[in-house]
Amino acid sequence: MPKSIPVDPDYFRQPGKLAFPDIPLHAYNTSFEDERARHGDRVLIDVLRHMMLVREFETMLGSFKAKGSYQDITYAYKGPAHLSLGQEGAAVGAALSLTPEDHIFGSHRSHGEFIAKGLSAIAKLSPQDLTRIMETHQKGNLLRAVEAHIPVSSVTNLAENFLLFGLLAEIFMKANGFNGGMGGSMHAFFTPFGAYPNNAIVGASSGIATGAALRKKLNGSRSIAVALSGDGSTGCGPVFEAMNFASMAQYDTLWTDAQKGGVPVLFCFNNNFYAMGGQTIGETMGWDRLSRIGAGINPHAMHAETVDGSNPLAVADAVARKRELLLSGQGPALLDVECYRIGGHSTTDANVYRTREELASWEKHDAISSYAARLIAAGMMTEAEVEAMKAGVTASIAAVTRAAVDPAAAPVIDIPADPTLIGRLMFSNEEIPVPTSEVKLLAAPETSARIRQDAKKSRSGIGPNGEKLSAMRAITLRDALFEAVLHHMLHDERLIAYGEECREWGGAFGVYRGLSDILPYERLFNSPISEAAIVATAVGHALEGGRSLVELMYGDFIGRAGDEIFNQMAKWHSMSAGILKVPVVLRCSVGSKYGAQHSQDWTALCAHIPGLKVLYPATPYDAKGLMASALSSEDPVVFFESQRLYDSVETFRTDGVPADYYRIAMGEPDIKRDGKDVTVLTIGPSLFPALAAADQLEQNYGLSLEIIDARSLVPFNYDPVIASVRKTGHLLVVTEASERGSFAMTLATNMTRFAFSSLKSPPRVLGSPNWIVPGAEMESTYFPQADDIIQIVTSEMYPEKHTNRRGVRNWNDLDLARQAL
Amino acid sequence: MDTPVIMPQLGNEIEEAQIDAWAKAPGDTVTKGEMLLTITTPKLTMELEAPATGILKEILVPADELASVGTTLAIITGG
Repeated sequence: MPKSIPVDPDYFRQPGKLAFPDIPLHAYNTSFEDERARHGDRVLIDVLRHMMLVREFETMLGSFKAKGSYQDITYAYKGPAHLSLGQEGAAVGAALSLTPEDHIFGSHRSHGEFIAKGLSAIAKLSPQDLTRIMETHQKGNLLRAVEAHIPVSSVTNLAENFLLFGLLAEIFMKANGFNGGMGGSMHAFFTPFGAYPNNAIVGASSGIATGAALRKKLNGSRSIAVALSGDGSTGCGPVFEAMNFASMAQYDTLWTDAQKGGVPVLFCFNNNFYAMGGQTIGETMGWDRLSRIGAGINPHAMHAETVDGSNPLAVADAVARKRELLLSGQGPALLDVECYRIGGHSTTDANVYRTREELASWEKHDAISSYAARLIAAGMMTEAEVEAMKAGVTASIAAVTRAAVDPAAAPVIDIPADPTLIGRLMFSNEEIPVPTSEVKLLAAPETSARIRQDAKKSRSGIGPNGEKLSAMRAITLRDALFEAVLHHMLHDERLIAYGEECREWGGAFGVYRGLSDILPYERLFNSPISEAAIVATAVGHALEGGRSLVELMYGDFIGRAGDEIFNQMAKWHSMSAGILKVPVVLRCSVGSKYGAQHSQDWTALCAHIPGLKVLYPATPYDAKGLMASALSSEDPVVFFESQRLYDSVETFRTDGVPADYYRIAMGEPDIKRDGKDVTVLTIGPSLFPALAAADQLEQNYGLSLEIIDARSLVPFNYDPVIASVRKTGHLLVVTEASERGSFAMTLATNMTRFAFSSLKSPPRVLGSPNWIVPGAEMESTYFPQADDIIQIVTSEMYPEKHTNRRGVRNWNDLDLARQAL
Repeated sequence: MDTPVIMPQLGNEIEEAQIDAWAKAPGDTVTKGEMLLTITTPKLTMELEAPATGILKEILVPADELASVGTTLAIITGG
């Protein structure tokens, strides 16, 4: 909502009609002679060899899946094999026009793209660089295995074997695969060659590549990101979200200086005409040619065109032209690379959805045979030389395969010998130092009304006469979050923040209010209402070396970004065996008063997914310190904030919220009130009804509650809770989440084990019931209240103290469970 | 005739807000609907418009101070 862009009725009410730019179809018309002059014969001959390597590699994999053997090598490969037979021209052609610094993000069907990109990078890197890269990766372990087990003739040859062996060992999930065997067939990558993670979720690379391109744009890299996916991915909402995110007008209208201009991302659809067994054209999609969708995204139709994927030189030509566009700030671009898949979707595909005649009709357009024929016709190779090349490629693949199935060269991962090996890969548990560098600002921080206003506030929420101060007079939880964010934004250029209405509005709940006065657009901007793209781009931006702070406004919108949070943000560190870092902080506010779709505590969903750290502070002091830790973390953090607490002031610490920067270690629950009779472990805002209950229980029943605020769900240190239960013998866990499957249930179950001998009554969970959050008028009957806590403590833990029933939860949990409640 | 400029009720949970800046000084002519001052609640900053046309006679709550909902912030006279 920038005021500099008026919404003018005189413009918008004019009659007229929209015109669309032409979208070229197979417009490539360069003569082979010109291509020889452009690339040189050596490169053109290598194109054939690269395509052959891709095909033979995949033929080998298909053979293992079909017969359990390849040539004389037997091996039981249990994993997936989504082959791209027939699509080699698209992969090799695109790679030909990319530099090692250009980064590709592939799909589940990306062995070919990975190999092609690697071969291209090897051809373009110096022998010294190749040697350094191979010596550095896994401290040279992979290189040693390749040198010891596969014969070579040159550094280039060694690097090619390194590439093929590293990939195959990864596909076979061996310890010295490129990703330590944690990625496998659908997730291989090797960043020094510019091959970033392939992705088993269809279309998921679109948003990640867009975020990576955003980082490239911000750090001034003269290189591009390529989102590789299939035609079927155009049915996926997140792909459209990513294309729109990459096309936002603000890059031209509002961003300034070197950051002005489009995002350098190429959406490259390798269109093999089938989405598994569904036929995109004519059956499952509305478009007739994939490139048509560019017209719906922006006025340039994303510079879309359809090119012939069976001709690597046509693809190389198109990618080179799009690359130039992107580097000149005119991105994004879209390519529809038609490349018929001659093999099945996977090795279990019986081709029941297409005819033999159709398959036969594409044979004459096979990328490899038609390209070889062209080289022969041009006198660049003889048929015998082509055959010799084929034999050499087959021998190379056989040698690599022989090594990859040999445990001496490619050891299996020995989990029984090291049972938590994978577990230790889930998080880096690293933090950056306190950022101190200076960054470009629009204005000095002191000029911001917000900052001046906060400077006058009391740091403590308690006034000189013991009175509680209002949100206008003391630092609130909202202000505390702002201070931690401000420090990192002012001192770390790599960090960017965005989400819906994050800029002028300051976020829907005003946490960033005032930041837009001092930070330029490229550090803080409004995103479209595209939760999937918000999170996916944050992940891509982080993988590329940036740091991302994004928000979803309401935690209820996590569903809109489910894959991006649960499969992307959570997994790239571990699936890369720790090579990649994902410093993303995802802020989710937990609503109140707005009913069933705007008031849910979904912390348990995030805590359930391995790979996410999950925080939920309830006080200003904790919020500031934990936000500082989250922003310093090299691991992804989901940071929950209660809307009900944004205006709360600091009442627990007599000094209030320190003005200076500080961090609170993640994972440490905090005792908010000492007691001896019952341990109450609270998650998020449940702290406050627990405190109210404690006051009443103390006054009216002579019982003292020890209240522990979880603060962090993942990680979680049980020791303080165990120590408390040793003292009290009773545990009540209180959460605003629906009880069934909640994190409180996990805490209670674990505490039953960890402190069984100390418990005098079963640990009890008090959460919200397993039905929808009602509107504001009924909320007090839904979220746990002080009376509900008093009822449980006096009826189940100290029944001798029980007098009248308190609270509204007069129901039988066994009956409710039978009723699906 | 004097018209008071009142601190409005800004959402049902806001009890007070801060005056950030006055766009007019006493003695200035103001037009109804013209931006007169900006205020800030804990959550947002917003502009308040002049409720009447006339002369800004007096500012009762200066910039940077807090005022409760319902407080008279200024007086517009004449018009």
